[in-house]
Amino acid sequence: MVSPMYIIAAGLGGAFLLGLLPNKWRTIPYAITLAILGIMAWIAGSWLYAFAVQGAASVEIFTAGTQPPFAINFRVGLAEASLALLTTLVGLHSALYMKDTLFKQGRQAMAVLLIFIMALCGVIFTRDVFNLFVFMELVVIATAGLVLLSADRRALGAGIKYLIVSQLVSILLLVGIIFLYHATGTLNIDDMAAAQVNLLQGGAMAFFLLFVAVLAELKPFPANGWGLDIYESAHPAFSAIFSTATGGATIYAADKMLQIGGAEWLPAATAIGIVTFVAANIFALVQNNDRRLLGYSSVAQIGLLLTVAGQRDILGDAYYYVAGGILLAHAVSKAGLFWLSGLVAQRELTDWAALRSQPVLVFAFATFLALLVGLPPFPGFYAKWDLAHHLAAEGRLWLLGLILFGALVEAAYLFRWFGYVIKREARENGLAWQSVKADVAFSAVIVAWLLAYLWGHLSGHGNLLHAVPLLFALLFLPLDWLPAKLKNVLAISGLLYWFYLNYPSYDPLQLIFAAVMLPGGALILLASFQTQKRRVGFYPAAMLMFAGLAMLIVAKSSFDFFAAWELLTVGSYFLILRGKHSEPHALSYLVFSLGGAFLILAGFAIAAQGAPDFKLAALAQVAQPYAPWVFAMLAIGFMTKTAAVGVHIWLPGAHAEAETDVSPMVSGILLKAGLFGLFMLLITMGKQQLYGVELTYVMLWIGAISALIGNLMAIFQEDAKRLLAYSSIGQMGYAVFGLALMNHLGWLMALMFVINHYIYKSMLFLSVGGIAKRTGTRLMYRMGGLITLMPLSFIAVMIGIIAMSGVPPLSGFGGRWIFYNAIMTAEYRLPMVIVFLAGPIAFLYLFRLIHTIFLGQLKDEMRKIKEAPFWIVLPQMIFVVALMVFALVPGLALRKVDLYMTQFFAGNGHLNWEGLTISSDFGYWNPVAIMVIIGVIFMTLFLWLLFVNRKAQPVKQFNIVFSGERPFRPETTHFAWNFFAPYRKALGFLTQPLVTIFWETVSELLHSAADILRRFYTGNGQTYAIHLLGFVIIVYMLWMGGKP
Amino acid sequence: MIRNFAVFLLLLGLGAIFLHLLDGYVPASELNQTARYYAEHTAQDLGAANIVTAIIVTYRGLDTLGEVTVLFLASTIIGMVLAQGSKRQRALQRKLPASGELLTTGSRLLVPLILLFGAYVFVNGHLTPGGGFQGGAIIASAALLVLLTDPLKRFSHKLIALVESISGLVFVGVGVLGMLLAGGFLDNRILPTGEFGALFSAGAIPLIYSFVGLKVGAEFTSMLTNLAETEKS
Amino acid sequence: MDWIAMATGFILILMGLYGALTERNILRIIVSFTVANTGVNLVLVAVGYMHGRTAPILDKTVPVAEAVARIIDPVPQALVLTAIVIGLGVTAMMLTYAYKLYEEKGTLDVSKCRDLKW
Repeated sequence: MVSPMYIIAAGLGGAFLLGLLPNKWRTIPYAITLAILGIMAWIAGSWLYAFAVQGAASVEIFTAGTQPPFAINFRVGLAEASLALLTTLVGLHSALYMKDTLFKQGRQAMAVLLIFIMALCGVIFTRDVFNLFVFMELVVIATAGLVLLSADRRALGAGIKYLIVSQLVSILLLVGIIFLYHATGTLNIDDMAAAQVNLLQGGAMAFFLLFVAVLAELKPFPANGWGLDIYESAHPAFSAIFSTATGGATIYAADKMLQIGGAEWLPAATAIGIVTFVAANIFALVQNNDRRLLGYSSVAQIGLLLTVAGQRDILGDAYYYVAGGILLAHAVSKAGLFWLSGLVAQRELTDWAALRSQPVLVFAFATFLALLVGLPPFPGFYAKWDLAHHLAAEGRLWLLGLILFGALVEAAYLFRWFGYVIKREARENGLAWQSVKADVAFSAVIVAWLLAYLWGHLSGHGNLLHAVPLLFALLFLPLDWLPAKLKNVLAISGLLYWFYLNYPSYDPLQLIFAAVMLPGGALILLASFQTQKRRVGFYPAAMLMFAGLAMLIVAKSSFDFFAAWELLTVGSYFLILRGKHSEPHALSYLVFSLGGAFLILAGFAIAAQGAPDFKLAALAQVAQPYAPWVFAMLAIGFMTKTAAVGVHIWLPGAHAEAETDVSPMVSGILLKAGLFGLFMLLITMGKQQLYGVELTYVMLWIGAISALIGNLMAIFQEDAKRLLAYSSIGQMGYAVFGLALMNHLGWLMALMFVINHYIYKSMLFLSVGGIAKRTGTRLMYRMGGLITLMPLSFIAVMIGIIAMSGVPPLSGFGGRWIFYNAIMTAEYRLPMVIVFLAGPIAFLYLFRLIHTIFLGQLKDEMRKIKEAPFWIVLPQMIFVVALMVFALVPGLALRKVDLYMTQFFAGNGHLNWEGLTISSDFGYWNPVAIMVIIGVIFMTLFLWLLFVNRKAQPVKQFNIVFSGERPFRPETTHFAWNFFAPYRKALGFLTQPLVTIFWETVSELLHSAADILRRFYTGNGQTYAIHLLGFVIIVYMLWMGGKP
Repeated sequence: MIRNFAVFLLLLGLGAIFLHLLDGYVPASELNQTARYYAEHTAQDLGAANIVTAIIVTYRGLDTLGEVTVLFLASTIIGMVLAQGSKRQRALQRKLPASGELLTTGSRLLVPLILLFGAYVFVNGHLTPGGGFQGGAIIASAALLVLLTDPLKRFSHKLIALVESISGLVFVGVGVLGMLLAGGFLDNRILPTGEFGALFSAGAIPLIYSFVGLKVGAEFTSMLTNLAETEKS
Repeated sequence: MDWIAMATGFILILMGLYGALTERNILRIIVSFTVANTGVNLVLVAVGYMHGRTAPILDKTVPVAEAVARIIDPVPQALVLTAIVIGLGVTAMMLTYAYKLYEEKGTLDVSKCRDLKW
């Protein structure tokens, strides 16, 4: 192995060598620069290999042939080697990226770049405080020089501000160093750490100055205006280095300082870090400039790292895994994003829509965002998981909450940006394509996936990239160039095969969910044969969702469960985003889902209490006083997915605006994930009490109110898909209600809903989607009389609403029957009344689907409409058959489950299955008999009608007059518009969008607070220096105040 | 006005911090472990009479390398930045007043002496007060004198760059040799430490310090000339 | 007596910073920072000073054997040299920026660079 000193020597030697070359030369200096950077990276890489693969111990490198502390020494270990490799690689790639600029500026710029990278490595390696100062000053000066490489004229101002602040920092740093030297008699970091500065005379004060100065280099809030300006105005390739390599090296320097200061200073680091993380993320909410936004995000991430550094005392061995995961995720994604920003010609966030012309770039962008936010399978995910568990185990719940809140805000603005990329109008020439730049950016994508693999490999929870479903979903990325039909075949066979493969291992409960999710998904995918061409991006997203679902139902440990949960969330987000107008709705879906997911994470973390591998079954053993809290967090998390009232506002838009074949997937299938979670939760934790309140009782109320509100909202909708979406809220409310009854029949009914809701909601969404496709509208009052033109769709809708409204003879009735039995056995009367009320309301809106769409007047412009496309109709017909079968023999699906459930509610009124008759304590239900009776009644009435109407005269459809007035606004004259106006008058107050207003206010408050507070960054360099000074003094006062 | 007051208040706060520092400061009466080591070992280990020089060039040689690099960096950036904007070689529009007999003659007389003195200072850095930086600064002051005498005087950038780079390379090279031949990067004992107190002693220290002197001189000169060349109409 | 140098250093730092944070003209700011840097250097040297001792150069008057008892702490002396040079490098950088600022905006007022904010 070559001494890391050669990294320094190579960098310097290279820089001096460049000075020898003639000023006019370009190619040779450039080649030398690249070669030197390559050598530096190679040295760092060979050390990393030695530490990581061969398990070498860290090495001290002496200079001047003298032992430290009398001479400067370096240390190289795993952390140093990785950081140095990161630094040099980012430097090398940025040099490749900046080729044009470097050629323009000549060898001098290249020399400065080399010294910059060299100095960063020096900051990483050195174990001497003053040497650290020297390298940091080199970084400062080189930064000031490289900032000017930018084509942006404003970089000049940014550089001045940076220099002014840096001078202040270096003054503090020097004073701190010399007094610390005086107190400890050494400049060596390890000796200082051993000297226990806090106990020495004047030591703590000196350390304070040193520490606060190094922290200032991290751009802590609020002393960071200068850093942001650099991000915004510098050359993107330089910003990439500044964000990743400088950030990494400086945070490592802060880490060294914490080694000197010891545990006493960890809370200070934590506090500064978390305030920076949260504040920078909130400020980023209102940014429109891409690079400034990335700057805020960089500041936030470094803040998070500082917070992690402050948790050193509890993280133990996991410290480097967690900090490294977050750091590398930040570094690779930020470098990648800055590199990408060079390909985008304009600076507004919406201008990134230009990326869409190259799907590969969209993939790169999505990878970087996922990496940055910490979604599975990327390192940040594992790191966040471990961090949350350590924090929860030590009771640092406030901190955990703040971290998750900040992460949620960050996800919100990043994915809003992603929405812009996918949905906004791309400008012409918006892409400043240069293949070398794209290559550099794409190399970061590759590194991102390698890191994902590595972190999975190192994690104690198994590698997510070894999960077959996920791999299968990822397989669709390289296959995305294939025609959609081919991919569809592949997707369907994949789902079916996976189900077939795992069929024997599912328990009855899992089997029901698996059947709905996998073959059920395959069935809906039949409708996707309808689409033409390649349908880029659909299959990776859809299969990601299905992969998450498939992994969810077999998850054994909390980690597997949560990873699957995140995967299905992300996949479905991408899927929902595909709808034409779904940009805001997809975002609100994602934000609510991630919010819910973070609650789940916190819940699991608290439940585990530090156990490295927490089995879901162990939820049953969670001790007081944590248990009810865990229960509440998990329940809210799961109910976010089932869109329980209060957190339901994402659902209508997301489900209604999705594509025709996506709506049934996200409604019929995805909602079941939440129910599955609730099942899992109730099976393990059962009833919990918090402050004397039975939590399942609260759930009961939530379920009942969701059922009522969902149905009420649904009746006032004009948009057929929205109507169905609101109806889902109501339906899920029933299911939650049934679960919360905590008795055998309640659960059985919830399961019945799982199957029923899947079938009829998928069917209805497909029919309505097909109709909308043909008519070009989803507004019901624009339709009418379609019964003759679209008979098959009519049949599907007809059957669907019969099933759904719970009237005999279809399976919905079975659900109701079990349901009524279930509430008879429970003792909660009031919520029961509400649920009863909700029943007839459902009928009101369902009736409209038939009445307004299929009956009545056919619209003139719709006279030539054809039946919905074959592939959309086919699954509907299959669903019709399935409904019939399930109605006739519900035992097929439920009997086993019924038996399975007896283990949870021993001796508590389960059903008796005798032949085709099912009986309970309150009566019996014979589906076949019911079907026959209803059939007979129906036929009798039908025949009688035919008989009495045989003389009726058919009137031509358009044989009407408009009383001399031509109605030009159909909604004012169409009788189906505002159909339930009287009800609205009576019950409208219940449908006031209070919850929507609440969440909008929250979002509005955050945004306006950010917008007002960011005025604080006035743009004046001296003001920034004053901020810094203020920061120092505030920290000083807090420190003095906090001292015992 | 408010701003000045705010600054004043904040500086009062900083003053309080400094007072706190002073409060905890107890002047040392004995050398601490690090200084004691230098006092005891420098002479026999490195053979340098000037302990400060031994520290600068050898014990903390890496700092010095960084320091030299700071200057190199600064002069490079200045060259780069100033070359960016203005067009060079634009002749002065206005006539400069003559420098005067005294200045011209004086500088002619003094420049060689100054150069010699500078060289003396850095060559003897390991024995007497002074060293590469001081010597380099003295050399650059000769350049400054020349520029004062004749603001239009142009030094050869090529020559400066050559001196700068070669001395830098030598410094790094000697450092690397230390790793190969002696105990570590920048170990001065790649050459014999010689007789204590003699000119040719202390191993590579005089060699390094001479090149540091040259380099610093070149860099200062380069900064001066670059800044001088911005002088326009 | 020893603390006079140190106190002077601190006062210089505060004076310099006051100038650097209140003046608008970049040249004045640079000069102010130079003053502050001088203060820092003074503090550095003052920390190494020990009453009644001499410079850490070994010769006939300070033989090697007596060095420990006779010389002051050499480390701050070495550090201050580095600090001075680095300060000079930064000052040179700022001067370059001042020149660029004047060239681009025709002013030396740093508060004119406010096109980047928020």
